[in-house]
Amino acid sequence: MTTLTSGGLTSGVSAPPGGLRRIGSARWRRRNLTFDKITFFLVFLVIPVAFYIAFVVSPFVQAAYFSLTDWTGFSPGMNFIGLSNYAKLFADSTFLQAMGNNILMAIVVPVVTLGVAMFFATLVTVGGSTRGNVKGLRSSSFYRVVSFFPYVIPAIVIGLIWSQIYDPSAGLLNGILTRLGLEQFASFAWLGDPRTARWAVMFVIIWGLVGFYMVLFIAAIKGIPAEVFEAARIDGAGRFRTAISITIPLIRENVQTAFIYIGILALDAFVYMAALEPGGGPDNTTLVMAQQLFTTAFTKGQFGYACAMGVVLAVITLAYAGLVFAVNRFFGGKSEVGE
Amino acid sequence: MDINVKPLGRRDFLRGSLAAAALAATGTLGACATSGTGTSTQTSSAPAGQVSDTNPFGVQSGTAVEAVIFKGGYGIDYAEFAGKQVEAKQQGVTVKVTPTTKVAQTLQPRFVAGNPPDVIDNSGAGLIGVNTIRDQLAELNDVVEAKNYEGTVIKDTLYEGVMDPGTFDGKFIVLNYVLSVFAIWYSASLFEQNGWTVPKTYEEMLALGEEAKGKGKYLLGWGKEAATYYQTMAIGSAIKEGGDEVRLALDNLKPGCWSLPPLQDVFNGLKKIIDAGYMKPGGSGTVFTAAQAQWSEAEDFILYPSGSWIENEMKDQTKSGFKMTGAPEPVVSSNSKMPWEALHSTAGEGYIVPSQGKNVAGGKEFLRAMLSQEAAVNFAKTKLASTIVKGTVPADGFGSTALQSQIKMLETAGSNIFSWTVLNPADLYGMNTDQLVVWNTFLGGGSSVAELTEGLQKITDKVANDDSIKKVQVS
Repeated sequence: MTTLTSGGLTSGVSAPPGGLRRIGSARWRRRNLTFDKITFFLVFLVIPVAFYIAFVVSPFVQAAYFSLTDWTGFSPGMNFIGLSNYAKLFADSTFLQAMGNNILMAIVVPVVTLGVAMFFATLVTVGGSTRGNVKGLRSSSFYRVVSFFPYVIPAIVIGLIWSQIYDPSAGLLNGILTRLGLEQFASFAWLGDPRTARWAVMFVIIWGLVGFYMVLFIAAIKGIPAEVFEAARIDGAGRFRTAISITIPLIRENVQTAFIYIGILALDAFVYMAALEPGGGPDNTTLVMAQQLFTTAFTKGQFGYACAMGVVLAVITLAYAGLVFAVNRFFGGKSEVGE
Repeated sequence: MDINVKPLGRRDFLRGSLAAAALAATGTLGACATSGTGTSTQTSSAPAGQVSDTNPFGVQSGTAVEAVIFKGGYGIDYAEFAGKQVEAKQQGVTVKVTPTTKVAQTLQPRFVAGNPPDVIDNSGAGLIGVNTIRDQLAELNDVVEAKNYEGTVIKDTLYEGVMDPGTFDGKFIVLNYVLSVFAIWYSASLFEQNGWTVPKTYEEMLALGEEAKGKGKYLLGWGKEAATYYQTMAIGSAIKEGGDEVRLALDNLKPGCWSLPPLQDVFNGLKKIIDAGYMKPGGSGTVFTAAQAQWSEAEDFILYPSGSWIENEMKDQTKSGFKMTGAPEPVVSSNSKMPWEALHSTAGEGYIVPSQGKNVAGGKEFLRAMLSQEAAVNFAKTKLASTIVKGTVPADGFGSTALQSQIKMLETAGSNIFSWTVLNPADLYGMNTDQLVVWNTFLGGGSSVAELTEGLQKITDKVANDDSIKKVQVS
């Protein structure tokens, strides 16, 4: 592009070509490029961007490229094979099943977790006695601490604990159920029966995460001035009505962020699955894409194919985030009291 | 055999693989552009030392040998022992032994970059599929043709057929160090107490199931990660019944291989046992070590098909007085091609020497040390398992009933020892993960023999029809 033609054609630019540059450079000089400024740019802009490109962008680009090759992962060479990995992927019934499992989890886990977290957060902050100041239930700080406990335990440990609880013969769950007289649960394999495995696994994920999102919502609700709730109460709004019409619209942005975080986690879920269902579960009902990707890469030695799975997973994750934004906007996000 | 959970996030994985990719982009890809396909077997360019009977591979003084050893049930002390031997025998050579629990993840970047270690114990759940790297491995014929530290040609000191599982398309590239015998294991003391005998056919197994039930015990049981141990047993029984025909059909992924009559007979025999309720329920939801403890500690069930590593694996969870003993896998009928005594035995713990390693001669010397009498006896004594080197286990099996029975089974079988190449335990194409799903359903009573056959055939066909997977021709 030459400056002459572009300068002449662009209607918004009134200065003659060359003049623009002069003004620009003059302004540049006026800014006094001191040592402080240069180092500031360097430290806070150039270096982070360089790191970002080197360690985030370029690997992504490379992974996308490898998905178009037949790389085994262990050879220095590879052949370009175009989109045939993707063609194989969408004909691979196991991978499609894993994708379906992931999508189901990305729907159920966020809705249930955030629903439960919101319920508890409301109780702990504004759900208390209707007399006097707006407050939570009695000893709510105790509940808050206790509910956060599961989040303190690493995911892999949660998985291992629950795989013991679900153990058919020696597990706590079947122990309690049989003690209650439900004999049909003796030796019932919660993680080994296609009817129950996926729900059992999702329950563990939800159990592990409710506390964190509850604390997140509590913090958000505490940021709402108490007068708003008092006004609602004076107007005769009950607890449920307050939650729906006051609390949720006021912390809309937090809910959106929470939805995106937990959705990404549900689309991944690798760590929980590695502990609970390392083999993909009965009839592959709990197989997730990340597991399939891992096996394909390291056990089967098909890194090119695995990279294609990674790309699909990334696209689905982005699509999910986009969907959450769209839904939020559809219900009038930002235009209301949200800010 | 060690089945671990793999607590690795997708991001860690991407990071790892992409770090490897970065390496590939900077170093080896450029190198590969000039050297052509990059798959040709390159021999090490390291200067060779003087070749002699005591230094058959010409290890040079002053060089270092890097050994990466899988740290599973056997630990790494036996490898360190061999490393010390190398250092003592070869002046000025140093050996560095590094443990790893995830071989493929740890070493993948180094294979890509072209600087793999000199010798690797490629074992465990995270092993590198040999099919992926077999072009990058040195042939090990000269190792077994060399003389060991005691002066005997190594080949003559090994058990029969132990090189077969490491030979692919005629090239011997994996030295499987530990001898594994596949059997059904039981407590001799418990059987004696109840007057039970070891079943030799599936009919007898069914009958024993009834008796066990009378004592409030199940016949068999399984764990979710180890459901395919039953596949191993089924194939073993079918090969005894139908001979090489069955083995070759399975190894070469022939269409309809799972429908061969001997295999179907075995599946039907198993199905009868499952339908009769002699299989401890809930296995598909039980961690395999917990399931194995139900057998060795709680004695909830009385027979367990497994490899001979079972004793070492369960040594902390075995009831005292549990005389762990093995018996050959059952046969289908009385007119089987091989007798009941025929034994499924193969070698595991695959040692490989990458041809691009800095010190290939050093890697081979390390293997030579491991195959010496001294190292082999040390292994047998400390791990209660036999290496592929003959005559290292005394008759008392160092006091282990399992080891005693293992040696006895090997002796009784004589030349009737068989193994196979492709399916587990070797699992060349990584099909075990998919097969586990099918077997868990079947063992839990959730599918018929026809459904099991169809499921297994589908997995086999998928690999057979995938042109991007290089196949091994087995004969």
